[in-house]
Amino acid sequence: MAGVGAIAFGLPLVVQSPTYLHILVLLFFYTYLTTSWNLVGGFAGVLPLGHSMFVGIGAYTSTVLSLQYGISPWFGMLIGGVLATVAGVLIGLPTFKMRGAYFALATIAFAEGFRVMIENIDHLGPFNLNGPRGLQIPPLNTGFANYMFAAKEPYYYIILVMLIGVLILTYLINRSKLGYFLNAGGEEPEAAMSLGVNVARCKLIAMAISSFLTALAGTFYAQFSLFIHPKSVVSLDLSFEIAFIALIGGRGSIAGPVLGALLLRPVSDFSRIYFGDTLPGLHLIIFGLVLVLVMIFQPRGLQEPLTRVFNRLLDRFGQVEPERSRS
Amino acid sequence: MKILEVTNLTMRFGGLIAVNSLDLEMEAGQILGLIGPNGAGKSTAFNCLAGVYRPTEGEINFRGQKVNGQKPWNLSKQGLARTFQIVKPFASKTVLYNVMVGAFARHGRTAQARAKAMEVLKHLKLDDKKDQRAGSLTIADRKRLEIARALATEPKLLLLDEVMAGLRPTEVDDMVALINGLREKGMTILVIEHIMRAIMALSDRIIVIHFGRKIAEGLPAEVAADENVIKAYLGEEYGLS
Repeated sequence: MAGVGAIAFGLPLVVQSPTYLHILVLLFFYTYLTTSWNLVGGFAGVLPLGHSMFVGIGAYTSTVLSLQYGISPWFGMLIGGVLATVAGVLIGLPTFKMRGAYFALATIAFAEGFRVMIENIDHLGPFNLNGPRGLQIPPLNTGFANYMFAAKEPYYYIILVMLIGVLILTYLINRSKLGYFLNAGGEEPEAAMSLGVNVARCKLIAMAISSFLTALAGTFYAQFSLFIHPKSVVSLDLSFEIAFIALIGGRGSIAGPVLGALLLRPVSDFSRIYFGDTLPGLHLIIFGLVLVLVMIFQPRGLQEPLTRVFNRLLDRFGQVEPERSRS
Repeated sequence: MKILEVTNLTMRFGGLIAVNSLDLEMEAGQILGLIGPNGAGKSTAFNCLAGVYRPTEGEINFRGQKVNGQKPWNLSKQGLARTFQIVKPFASKTVLYNVMVGAFARHGRTAQARAKAMEVLKHLKLDDKKDQRAGSLTIADRKRLEIARALATEPKLLLLDEVMAGLRPTEVDDMVALINGLREKGMTILVIEHIMRAIMALSDRIIVIHFGRKIAEGLPAEVAADENVIKAYLGEEYGLS
């Protein structure tokens, strides 16, 4: 683990091309999003398909505050996180009573409703949202205080630190009381309730944490691309890609989102580079095919066979005993 | 001390009266058997006690407090634990994980919960299987796991819903020994069971219900000789007279 971290920190010294650095930043960005999603979609055993809404709330909040009031995006990021938490809890209150596909559909409805609203509102009270044209952040005052940099490397390190933070957080949650309760409530809600688990409340807590973390990534995306519009930060494509990564990598495990993103992000990037003109959306078709195959042969995601191989290697070469309770 | 006091418990589903003004009392440290033919309303009564249903009428007093319609997780905090007739293990998780979920009801820290869970597993002789996935256990072990999980919440009253159904005779004997062991440690237990041999051996008192009504109550031997009970189980023509 520490080795992988060290390599990740050293990578920009080797990778000089901005294109590849950009691809790496997006890889970490998606891994971060999926890991945050995994708190609800994996541990709690429901399938939210509207997480792009929280990305949008984060991105728009910090951007509007910095453009109109000159508030640093670092601070706006936290306000966006709080707003997203409120939105997440408000959505969770009625929808966590639903099961399976109904919950997934309800979250899609909320996210799509939010996108349509943003697209059609130019001014929300004193705030200028600029409707479907989106918001441009003029790259004038670069520097850490303004969360704005001319080079890609600072962004790379910011998202890397965020990713490591969220991975550690999910690791800690997964082995805490909340983690046990979430997993239990996701698998057998009635049994969990009889053992003292308030399943709905645990899901709400997970949703609150997840939406807060997701909104932080929204601010990052806004500062990284310096241009946000409803289709880029609140789109269903984004919600679905997060779910694809989690399902293919393996929901409910910590390694799942990391593996899924490592496998799927390159497909997405290279199909856009090489087939962007002729076959836009090709990556989603490939994702669909991969998902069908994974669901047939490894319904619990690709992390499971890989973890098994990893454990066997460790056994054979007599290293430290790996943690087995984390699946 | 009365640990459970149920008066006039009635549960209606539309026009169907599943449980009809049932009275029931339990002393601490006692094992009470609840029996009756299929469809008699045992499980409905059980689910009212466990907080799954809110009873239409009547009052349930648990440890001196009225608990009608309280949610299962609150009842668990007050010291009531149950098992499920159709076992519901967290199948993809290990045996230890399953029991730890129960242990977290009283212990906030992971290390404490693990210690408590291990203690229960040792007591139920499941500790050698602690790393197995719960879904891979035999039916007898799954029933044991249900009890282990319930015990890990450190209950004052344990509700057992047909924990012996589907077991082989030797496994039934093991289970009877296990439940007797729990009584010796002072646990109060309500048992629903179809296996007469087991329930006669275990219970201090037995309540028989039929069509939602209590038709007999008393010591096992008394109940077994009761004319109404024999009729309920075997039909009218098998009356004693």
